[in-house]
Amino acid sequence: MWSDALNAPRARDGKAPDVLHQGGWVEMREYRDTEEVDFVIVGTGAGGGTLAARLAEQGFSVVAMDAGGWFRPIEEFASDETAQEMIYWNDHRVTDGANPLTMGGNNSGKAIGGSTVHYAMVALRFRPEWFKSRTLLGYGADWPIDWREMWHWYAEAERQLSIAGPLSYPWGPKRGRYPFRAHELNGAAKLLAEGAQKTGIEWTETPLATLSAPYRDANGTSPPCVYRGFCRFGCSTNAKRSSLTVFIPRALAAGAEVRDLAMVGKIETGPDGRATGVHYHRDGEWRFQKAKNVIVAGYAVETPRLLLNSANDRFPDGLANSSGLVGKNLMTQSNSAVWGRMDTPVRSYKGPPSLAISEHWNYDDNNDFHGGYLWLGQGPMPIEWAGVLTGAKGLWGDALREEMRDYNHMVGVKMVGETLPNEANRVTLADDVDQYGLKVARITFSYGDNDKAMIDHALQQMRASIDAVDASDIFDQPDDNCHLGGTIRMGDDPTTSVVNADGRSWDIPNLWVCDGSLFPTVGGVNPSLTIYALALRMADRIGEMSKRGELYRCRM
Amino acid sequence: MTRIARLIAIAATTALTLSKKRQLQRSPAATGALVGQSRTIVTAARRLNRASGMIAGSVLIDSAMEHYRGNFSNRAMWTPLATAAMTIGASAHGLGDRQHGAHTVRDTIYSTAGAVGLVGTAFHIYNITKQVGGLSWQNLFYAAPLGAPAAITLSGITGFLAERVRHNRPGTPELIFGYPAGQVVAGGTALSLLATSAEAGLLHFRGAFHNPAMLLPVTMPPISAALLLRAALTGSAGRMTTYFVGATAAMGLAGVVFHAYGVSRNKGGFKNWRQTLFAGPPLPAPPSFTGLALAGLSALSLIRRARRG
Ligand SMILES: Cc1cc2nc3c(=O)[nH]c(=O)nc-3n(C[C@H](O)[C@H](O)[C@H](O)COP(=O)(O)OP(=O)(O)OC[C@H]3O[C@@H](n4cnc5c(N)ncnc54)[C@H](O)[C@@H]3O)c2cc1C
Ligand code: SF4
Repeated sequence: MWSDALNAPRARDGKAPDVLHQGGWVEMREYRDTEEVDFVIVGTGAGGGTLAARLAEQGFSVVAMDAGGWFRPIEEFASDETAQEMIYWNDHRVTDGANPLTMGGNNSGKAIGGSTVHYAMVALRFRPEWFKSRTLLGYGADWPIDWREMWHWYAEAERQLSIAGPLSYPWGPKRGRYPFRAHELNGAAKLLAEGAQKTGIEWTETPLATLSAPYRDANGTSPPCVYRGFCRFGCSTNAKRSSLTVFIPRALAAGAEVRDLAMVGKIETGPDGRATGVHYHRDGEWRFQKAKNVIVAGYAVETPRLLLNSANDRFPDGLANSSGLVGKNLMTQSNSAVWGRMDTPVRSYKGPPSLAISEHWNYDDNNDFHGGYLWLGQGPMPIEWAGVLTGAKGLWGDALREEMRDYNHMVGVKMVGETLPNEANRVTLADDVDQYGLKVARITFSYGDNDKAMIDHALQQMRASIDAVDASDIFDQPDDNCHLGGTIRMGDDPTTSVVNADGRSWDIPNLWVCDGSLFPTVGGVNPSLTIYALALRMADRIGEMSKRGELYRCRM
Repeated sequence: MTRIARLIAIAATTALTLSKKRQLQRSPAATGALVGQSRTIVTAARRLNRASGMIAGSVLIDSAMEHYRGNFSNRAMWTPLATAAMTIGASAHGLGDRQHGAHTVRDTIYSTAGAVGLVGTAFHIYNITKQVGGLSWQNLFYAAPLGAPAAITLSGITGFLAERVRHNRPGTPELIFGYPAGQVVAGGTALSLLATSAEAGLLHFRGAFHNPAMLLPVTMPPISAALLLRAALTGSAGRMTTYFVGATAAMGLAGVVFHAYGVSRNKGGFKNWRQTLFAGPPLPAPPSFTGLALAGLSALSLIRRARRG
């Protein structure tokens, strides 16, 4: 049944899937391609979905497009790791560099809702100093936004996503109370806590974007989490608060049109150098949607790819690229882990995978490396776990089968570590083309010395924590990466950044970017809450600019 | 159920029916007024028996569900079931008993319930402190609940007070340990309501008060408790007190409906009852408010009676 979502668009003829109700449909406003809408948004993830809702709610005409399908979680998401591959961006990409990044399920989604359909829901704020890491901490680049302003938008994002978090957060400046209470710790989280206590560092319950109590709003209801742990393969209960379950329904209700299976291949510019709309592929044909403003929210690989693929005579190096920085400073987050075996069963896969956290090393500057990292409890699914055993321990055949028997007993913690921006790490265009005939991204990545020093440090600390709970057969999983960032740096200076603090291109004032690629530095926390917060802020700023007449031919 | 618990239950029931009551002789020369007072005393006592039974019923079902969920992994987890069942038996017996005088076996059962609840609370505190994080919100929310065993104590105390009320001699002022019975029961009920409200408050806070109705058990019972406390201290109570305490009794019953709605909002609703009954708000919990409010109403009638003289 789910293949429907990938065979033909579901949002059409004035209606779109209502993911909050079984078999439901909602009315959807539709725009003609020739209608010049206020905003066309490319991508419907943490950045694009949020913006679509907030811009439509302010009265702008909005068309949001996503290359992925429109899945119905309650009917279509299976508790099956393989079947759920359908929600990832598994299209062809070329990777190289000294540490080629693994791409796919670990970092890229392709669906209405983007990567938030399968994110692990960890909802963290940056450490305030990271917004000025160059000035205050001596590395990376400063953000063009003050942390106090971000604090406001973080709180707003947490409220709108009904984040369930601890009553007091041990690190950073005081924050308001999370809207929902923290979830109950599972076996893996309790062991993380015990390890932290025994090694003398702080831990807490992880703030998560999944409900700890029922939720209702005008668009529908969601039940609280059932703790089955399939979160990273799509949550089939809708307890997960994602762009798909929170912002897309709001966008539709506010009059936005959302087009699934709509792959944007090129942004067109007019004689005045401004963006005029997007070429997109849907229903087997290329079409052109006119727009007064184009917002790209395709994440750190697809956003620069689209800008580069949109090169034309006037902008031969790609759009918004006068700084030459489009695609540069690609960052990932190191995701190494340490695992061990407990005598008693842990059943780490029960519940969201990361119910407990230690951000201790994000707030400690006395290290011989820059930046910070955290670690989280882990709950790998069986196939994933087999992958860890083959990758990290080189097991195969009988040995693998034997070791898989201990699945219930395994415990692990995994870092999310900051990597530093480096222009050599970048997204460019490869010569290969994808199924749409578009040049695919070449992703070049190598860890720097600082990144490696941090990973070594983290492995050592995580080992101490796993050791402290008396686990046996402890082993490292040194090579893993997760979230992406950078490639469309935001900043205060057109020569050292691609867009300004509002995500607005320095070169093309009606071209905007709103996703994880804006990050000048990625910090040592999972990125989605920061992306949601940036999107909320950007929508607010666009509203203000519109009132002041500072938007191109678009005035509310 | 463990054999010991079963034996205790059987012994208690047999003893209840066979035992000789420490009866107070009714005065043969009872005047009309005395007969009236006698009826009031027994009625008030029976109401308290009923209140105690109601609370014990709530505890029985609640602990049966919760401990079943916990796989009865520790043998002691049968204790509240046995104790609550016996308390229900004693209360039913008391409700059917129209005679004066405290009843030894009922008294013993009620006192045992009071003690078992205290031990249970200690157990649950121990359980909380041995969890990682110790006395933290996480453990207060999710480890063994403090309020559950305490409810057995409340049921025991209520029953114990029932017996004390019943032990009064018609023609003399109703007293408990030398103090006016209505006022003592009112005071005890007020404190019990506050404790139960605190428990509901903790768990509703865990649910982020996501439904405004969740505020009721943290507002109505404390107001009733305050009014009952005033009655306990002044020895008089107005209509407002009766209204609030009565409304609290009704709220306890309505709570079951609200909780059923809460259960239905979990994944799969009642079709998935084998999970949602356990994951959702506990159906049997709210009637403990009704039980306590009934005790409060009984106290108020005693107070009024005492004032009329
Ligand atoms: C397995 C996994 C777990 C994660 N866990 C966490 C976590 O616990 N906490 C956290 O904070 N973050 C987590 N993340 C990261 C988080 O999901 C992403 O950082 C975030 O969703 C990125 O938001 P975005 O808007 O930049 O892009 P996305 O959410 O990825 O959305 C981009 C969308 O754009 C679409 N798109 C791209 N190019 C085009 C095009 N040319 N035309 C049409 N559509 C296009 C894509 O199909 C996609 O749907 C996780 C990610 C993964 C993969
Ligand atoms: S554990 Fe909770 S959030 Fe994760 S998939 Fe299950 S219901 Fe959804």
